[in-house]
Amino acid sequence: MDQSIFLILLQDGVVNGAIYALLALCLVMVFAVTRVILIPQGELVSFAALTYATLDTGHVPASLYLLGGLGGAAFLRAAWAKRGTALLWLAVETLVLPAGIAGVTVWLAPQKPGVAVEVLLALAITAPLAPYLYRLAFQPLANASVLVLLVASVGAHLALGGLGLLIFGPEGSRGPGFSTAMLSLGDQVVPGQSLWILGLTLTAMAGLYLFFEFTLLGTALRAVAVNRLGARLVGIRTEQAGLIAFTLAGILGALSGVLVAPLTTIYYDSGFLIGLKGFVAAIVGGLASYPLAVLAALVVGLVESFSAFWASAFKEVIVFTVIIPVLLWRSWRHQDLEDEE
Amino acid sequence: MTLRWAIPALALCVVLPWLPGLPLFWVTLANLIGISAIVVTGLVVLTGIGGMTSFAQASFLGFGAYTTAILSTRYGLNPWLGLPAAMAAAGLAAAAIGAITLRLKAHYLALGTIAWSVSLFFLFGNLDILGRNDGISAIPPLTIAGFRLVDVRLSATLIGVSVVGVIAATHNLLDSRWGRAIRALRGGAMAAASCGVDIARARMLAFVYAALLAGLAGWLFAHLQRAVNPTPFGLYAGIQYLLMAVVGGAAYLPGALLGSALVVIVNDRLQDWLPKLLGTSGNFEIIAFGLLLVLVLQVAPEGLWPHITRRRRHTHPRPIAAMALPKRVAAQANRAFEVANLRRNFGGLVAVADLSFTLAPGELLALIGPNGAGKSTSFNLLTGVTRPSAGTVHLMGRDVTGLSAPAMAEGGVARSFQHVKLVAGMSVIENVALGAHLRGHASPLRSILRLDRAEEARQFAEAATQLAHVGLGDLADRPATSLALGQQRIVEIARALAADPAVLLLDEPAAGLRHAEKQVLAALLRRLAASGMAILLVEHDMDFVMNLADRLVVMDFGTVIAEGPPEQIRQNPAVIEAYLGGVA
Amino acid sequence: MPFRRAVLATPVCLAVLITSLGAASADPVRVGVSISTTGPAASLGIPQRNSVALLPKQIGGQDIEYIVLDDAADASKAVANARKLIDQDKIDVLIGSSTTPSSLAMIDVAAEKHVPMISLAASASIIAPMDASRRWVFKTPQNDSLMAEALADTMQKAGVKTVGFIGFSDAYGDGWLAEFTKAAAPRGISLAATEKYARPDTTVTGQVLKLIAAKPDAMLIAGAGTPAALPQRTLRERGYTGVIYQTHGVANADFLRVGGKDVEGTILPSGPILVAAQLPDSNPIKKVALDYIAKYDAANGPGTVNNFGAHAYDAMLLVQAAIPAALAHGKPGTAAFREGLRDGLEGLKEVVLDHGIATMSPTDHNGFDARARVMVTVKNGGWLLLP
Repeated sequence: MDQSIFLILLQDGVVNGAIYALLALCLVMVFAVTRVILIPQGELVSFAALTYATLDTGHVPASLYLLGGLGGAAFLRAAWAKRGTALLWLAVETLVLPAGIAGVTVWLAPQKPGVAVEVLLALAITAPLAPYLYRLAFQPLANASVLVLLVASVGAHLALGGLGLLIFGPEGSRGPGFSTAMLSLGDQVVPGQSLWILGLTLTAMAGLYLFFEFTLLGTALRAVAVNRLGARLVGIRTEQAGLIAFTLAGILGALSGVLVAPLTTIYYDSGFLIGLKGFVAAIVGGLASYPLAVLAALVVGLVESFSAFWASAFKEVIVFTVIIPVLLWRSWRHQDLEDEE
Repeated sequence: MTLRWAIPALALCVVLPWLPGLPLFWVTLANLIGISAIVVTGLVVLTGIGGMTSFAQASFLGFGAYTTAILSTRYGLNPWLGLPAAMAAAGLAAAAIGAITLRLKAHYLALGTIAWSVSLFFLFGNLDILGRNDGISAIPPLTIAGFRLVDVRLSATLIGVSVVGVIAATHNLLDSRWGRAIRALRGGAMAAASCGVDIARARMLAFVYAALLAGLAGWLFAHLQRAVNPTPFGLYAGIQYLLMAVVGGAAYLPGALLGSALVVIVNDRLQDWLPKLLGTSGNFEIIAFGLLLVLVLQVAPEGLWPHITRRRRHTHPRPIAAMALPKRVAAQANRAFEVANLRRNFGGLVAVADLSFTLAPGELLALIGPNGAGKSTSFNLLTGVTRPSAGTVHLMGRDVTGLSAPAMAEGGVARSFQHVKLVAGMSVIENVALGAHLRGHASPLRSILRLDRAEEARQFAEAATQLAHVGLGDLADRPATSLALGQQRIVEIARALAADPAVLLLDEPAAGLRHAEKQVLAALLRRLAASGMAILLVEHDMDFVMNLADRLVVMDFGTVIAEGPPEQIRQNPAVIEAYLGGVA
Repeated sequence: MPFRRAVLATPVCLAVLITSLGAASADPVRVGVSISTTGPAASLGIPQRNSVALLPKQIGGQDIEYIVLDDAADASKAVANARKLIDQDKIDVLIGSSTTPSSLAMIDVAAEKHVPMISLAASASIIAPMDASRRWVFKTPQNDSLMAEALADTMQKAGVKTVGFIGFSDAYGDGWLAEFTKAAAPRGISLAATEKYARPDTTVTGQVLKLIAAKPDAMLIAGAGTPAALPQRTLRERGYTGVIYQTHGVANADFLRVGGKDVEGTILPSGPILVAAQLPDSNPIKKVALDYIAKYDAANGPGTVNNFGAHAYDAMLLVQAAIPAALAHGKPGTAAFREGLRDGLEGLKEVVLDHGIATMSPTDHNGFDARARVMVTVKNGGWLLLP
């Protein structure tokens, strides 16, 4: 392996690692706030990427049906549980919003409005799916055990995956790059898209940081993450916190999807494996530490990139086996006998 | 409880498949359900009861299936000989994987098993000896006296018998000394450790046991399908088994059968119904299945079995008359407990500094002090929960400094907890019997074979005696966590006594007790001390302690500020200062 | 006692949940289809399902009934489906599955129940070596060995000596690696590097760098559908300018859509249906294939047809050709009919299909010859028949 190969692999690993990092952040946040391990995060990534790719062909993406359907279902589910209170706001959130997004999309899509608008539309169509999903599947289970939430998460993943196949078909798509520029750094060529990914990932992380540190909502979310009961006692509604966490996860998941779409062909089920690697990073970060999760995501990206070069047949074996020592190390740091839930 | 249901169930396994008019495909479905139920039963022990989430059960199924597939195709071995080989392979794989992975806790362990599952899947698909991704086909069916078990109805009998055997074995295992240890793992590991249970061993036992069942299922799978390839052993299959367990009721043995049956049948029915319902054969099955899954969990988060039965508990009285367990050899040392210069730092913080005291057999010593004085840390140091930074602890003259909680229990220390730690899901008497863990010797295998009944009877007789001793004999069969908090404290004392300890350490035993109950407790403790037991209490309730203890040790800010009999302590200015904060 | 109730409850649940079984009437010929319409092989299974919908409901006055099930490319599901179709739906012929491992797993069930089976998967190992079980098994896709030889011939003519190989890390990639290695050696072609990747991988940069570093004369990518475009795009991105060969697994319009300009000049073997319109009129396959294409596009939208669906259609063309002989043996739904159908299938001569012309024999249950493959290249975003 010469230096230029090393640098290409490094670049490849970092770019993929950045996407895993975004997902890892979402998973950490959603788990901390709601104790849900959000497996359907992967579907959000796929759906955003495929919606973006469809928009670029000038067609109206069929994911609008999903948006409307899930929104309507969320409305019915929440309205049934609430029985009459705050229905207006609920209707705005779950019925009017999708209708608005659908209207704008139908109007804009045939005009091929350009990459920037298409990205925003894809985000607008995909991101609300996460809070709807929360209302439908997880809010009624708020007090269930982590294991039950995990299996519910599997159920949501299966259903969404099936819907994805129905909507987008089995074949993949690839979206247009944000930039076709190629930058030369010495004898290395860095595609503009990679810089976009790194830039937007860093921006999103900075945004999250500011949100958690300096806004009231962010502080409330942190409070829930640290102590659910305590947060409830001081008047923070855990359902509200869960909704916000899912919304953020929806936005970041959709963003990851749009970012990854120009890099590779995305299928209706691609997101699962991407999400799984984000999950690996999230756990290595202890499902609690944001910086560690980001670091771990980069390591996963790099291990994957280099093992693809050295032993491609055993790439996944390597990626998933190297994390075991890391897990052991983390586990050893909590040696004292503790009771588990 | 006896296993009388097993005999008619076995008869059904033989007869039912041949019922005239029974559609053949139902038998095929029943076979699939049976194989899944065996794997899921393992998961119930491991995940639902033991609290260790595993996504890797399908991999262990793969170990079993591939082992017998290779032996019977490549080496022409009789498929029946593949059974012990398949189970051994799965068990050994689990022991090896467990040795590396079982130190992981909670979600780390779950992810660890995901990692193994993914790795092993790709390994299965990349090894030439396993036929790579095409797998191994033309595996011979099982034969009985030269007769090939190709007909699904014959397989059904074999699978049915296996399921009955597995459920009986698992029931036996859970209803035993080691079974109680496994049941304590989820939520009661500290309590079990204080009773001398080697937690790592109990975790390994559950892990290997679940893998052995998966290996058995793999053997059945290979000879029923007669072809194996990596897909049924991947992460998705592992998730599927976990899902069956949770839907059925992960903590309930019948839930394994119910969950497997529901998932298999619903999947099959959706395949037939949805095209009729929707008029097209699209890919709606998986969508409907996912929705149903979420819905079922919302209706019954504990799983369907407890939802249907509404947790109706069946008490099964046990024979109380049994030979008493052997007693510990009476302590000869004149110092039961001797603590010298014990110290514990957390980072830069000194939680306990230079704690020294002695405790004689028959003595009642109380450790008191205001909040944050270091009482709890001291207690943890003395019971092996936390290792001391410096200093020594001698138990009956033997150096036990830094030993683990189970080792301390083995040495003769028994304890109760400030925050009561009874195992939910076990009855009062079972919780107390857990205390006698070290006084039994039955291995898991003996328990599975039901050869441990005499010893079990003695353990329960001992538990009943101790319950009567503390005055809760009539609550023996109640669920432990249904008792009032004060009663639960007393149960903890009974559990500690069941270990026949030389030294009894009690962490705030009087908290939550009413006045009359305190009197009873005090009388009990005096009796125990009079019988030669050394007792150390940590207590907040001054009245209770002053009237009970022979001697007191007072701590403040991690150091001992006074030591002596109650009347002396009452007058001690340093103690008054510490308690009244210098106002006086 | 909970256990007793569980033991008793299960059969009750069974009874409640399992409703009526279609009591099979003896009249129609029942065709059971188990294919992968979900899961990793959905891009094969969905067009196959769509093709089944185009099949005639009546052949020569004989009613035909189709039952389609999904096996999600899971072999154990495929076996359960096979048993269900045979035991519950009393089928006369079994079609499926879409992938090799699932098909291999179904063989023993079909043979045990004496039901002829027609696989839609690629590997020759499904029908060879011929044995008592495989007596019952036929398949419509060209053996991958046939395709590999055609490809190796083309490479040899182009003067290729070394090939860099990157394939799926599944049965398809494995099968191609094995067959191509076998076909390449006698033609003086060697593999300079072999790499693997998984269908949903988002990057193959590592593998591609290694392939390029091995400096082979040409590259061969063994993947199915759009995922096969990723290594090709990465090769071009990394500056590889040599010839890239693909396999017949990519022969659909989506591959061209996703691959864009990067797949221009790709050379691959394919069934003749891919370039049916370019075939000479003298080729009997042209008419059959164009007929299928017209039907498929009419039902599913223009340009949606692909090679995989045609395999399912071909399977039914075989059955159609064998039914008259089978009816002479017995009525549909009887063992005699199924036996007759098997014999009929084995005796078929010169049956024109979308993918070739089949002549079966007791030792060859695929029946295709060189007429079942053409070499194709990608030009101006379309398929072009190579002479």
